[in-house]
Amino acid sequence: MWWKILSVVLLIYVLLAGMLVPLKSGIQRAEPAYARTKQEIAVRFYGYNTMFSKAAASGIRTWLYYDETYALAASRCTALNDTILEAVFRMPANLPEGRQSAYLNAIIDHPAAGASLLPAAVELTQDSGIVAATLDSAWTARPVHQLHVQTGFSFPYQNVIYESIRNTYFHVPMWFVLLFLFGASVWYSLRYLRQPAPENDRRASAYAGTGLLFGVLGLLTGMIWANYTWGKPWSNDIKQLMTAVALLIYLAYFILRRSFDEYEKGARLAAVYNIFAFASLIPLLYIVPRMFASLHPGATGNPAFGSQDLDNTMRAVFYPAILGWTLLGLWLANLRIRYQRLFDKAMGLD
Amino acid sequence: MNWKSLIPLLHKEFLLEFRQRYALSGIVLYVFSMVFVVYIASIRVAPPVWNVLFWLILLFASINAVVKSFVQESGARQLYYYQLADPATLIFAKILYNSLLLLVLSVLAYGVYSLVAGNPVKDPGLFGLVLLLGSLGFSIAFTFIASIASKANNSATLMAILSFPVILPILLTLVRLSSVALRLIQDTAYTRDIWNLLAIDAILITLVFVLFPYIWKD
Repeated sequence: MWWKILSVVLLIYVLLAGMLVPLKSGIQRAEPAYARTKQEIAVRFYGYNTMFSKAAASGIRTWLYYDETYALAASRCTALNDTILEAVFRMPANLPEGRQSAYLNAIIDHPAAGASLLPAAVELTQDSGIVAATLDSAWTARPVHQLHVQTGFSFPYQNVIYESIRNTYFHVPMWFVLLFLFGASVWYSLRYLRQPAPENDRRASAYAGTGLLFGVLGLLTGMIWANYTWGKPWSNDIKQLMTAVALLIYLAYFILRRSFDEYEKGARLAAVYNIFAFASLIPLLYIVPRMFASLHPGATGNPAFGSQDLDNTMRAVFYPAILGWTLLGLWLANLRIRYQRLFDKAMGLD
Repeated sequence: MNWKSLIPLLHKEFLLEFRQRYALSGIVLYVFSMVFVVYIASIRVAPPVWNVLFWLILLFASINAVVKSFVQESGARQLYYYQLADPATLIFAKILYNSLLLLVLSVLAYGVYSLVAGNPVKDPGLFGLVLLLGSLGFSIAFTFIASIASKANNSATLMAILSFPVILPILLTLVRLSSVALRLIQDTAYTRDIWNLLAIDAILITLVFVLFPYIWKD
């Protein structure tokens, strides 16, 4: 009983925290994104969740960052409103390491909202003419230092993903629950083969059915995310295709169960197919997706979403989300088992 | 696994096939008809389409060739085999026999198909290896699924829906390897795909050995 309450409490927490906690401030783009050497240029930074006008005039500092030793500081920053910041840079005469052009990252440091970064914000190109041999001193005059860190409870800001980062607490746990439930289903199928008791079969089928439900939910939440970040809900990405096929396997399992006149025969052959199907999930989910290009994180060299993208705030919601959804899955499966048990008793099967 | 009874069991499969020649002829005719249907429906077959259609023809032909391997013998005779041989030997003999059957079928299909729709294969050695690996993979998966499906009333439908998701990784790898043999894609690391295929085969055959006794025992 206690774990049902725990699951509800955790999921309410996940819904509230996952939906209400704000994102950290970030920079969406810089305009203009091109500059030439020796030019004095006013770059406008368009922020997200920023509070540029809430800081004192001297409070916001902006850099164009080449690497740890070389960075250009803005001579003047003006907040036009809360989301637009105009920073004036005097571009140096030449570039580090004798380069002709380089992408510079933008760093904006806000005393309250912390520092935010936009990779490859401005491309700086060497103007034609004689290039001085010694590097312009502007690169090292005011290095990046004493960045503020935002201490409040907030989720990381990421370009392209933006607010949809909250889907991490719904889309990702679905696959954890699916694997737990399908694993439990295979476990009871194995037990059924060793000891053909109807209870084992009921459990195997209930776990598989609930796992299927979570698979469909995972596919749907994935489609919402794909619509937002990839441009359309279904792009025939290999990950989407293979997941759909994996779900087809379990639909076939349910058709197989119902194809026999004798209960015992159906249960036994379905148990065999369940084990076979679970084993063929491994090539479907781990071997095949590696053979094709995919947009999904974690496939074909894309960074896996998880290790470096989860910060501590996200972990504080993500781990309870996995536990909460798993307990909900077990609860749903339990209801199915109990219903089936009563049904079998009423029909005189058990 | 009993090696001594493997030879008689294999011999029995060949004998059965020889006595029911119409079944084998039916499958061969099926392949030929499909080749002609494909050709008539799409007169000019470009190499990428050639590749995909060839494997689809083989897929359907294989399902139809293997599905009979359990239904052709009556329940009483199955009971007789049950007393004579152990299940692992029996399924191994059937898989071996079906691999040979599918290999012959795919070579025949390749011959007729290239006669009618042209032969874009640039690396015959690799293509031959892909045909061999394909027959092996199809045979393992389909023989096992056929043994499950044969117990049900609607075995033809079940055969299709149970085997398609399971066969998909094998089929995708085969199509990819055969596009290398057709020089449709440049892939110097295609041996990795061959190993993938063998690994999938190894997983499947292990499962077949473990699970088949539970299917057979009625």
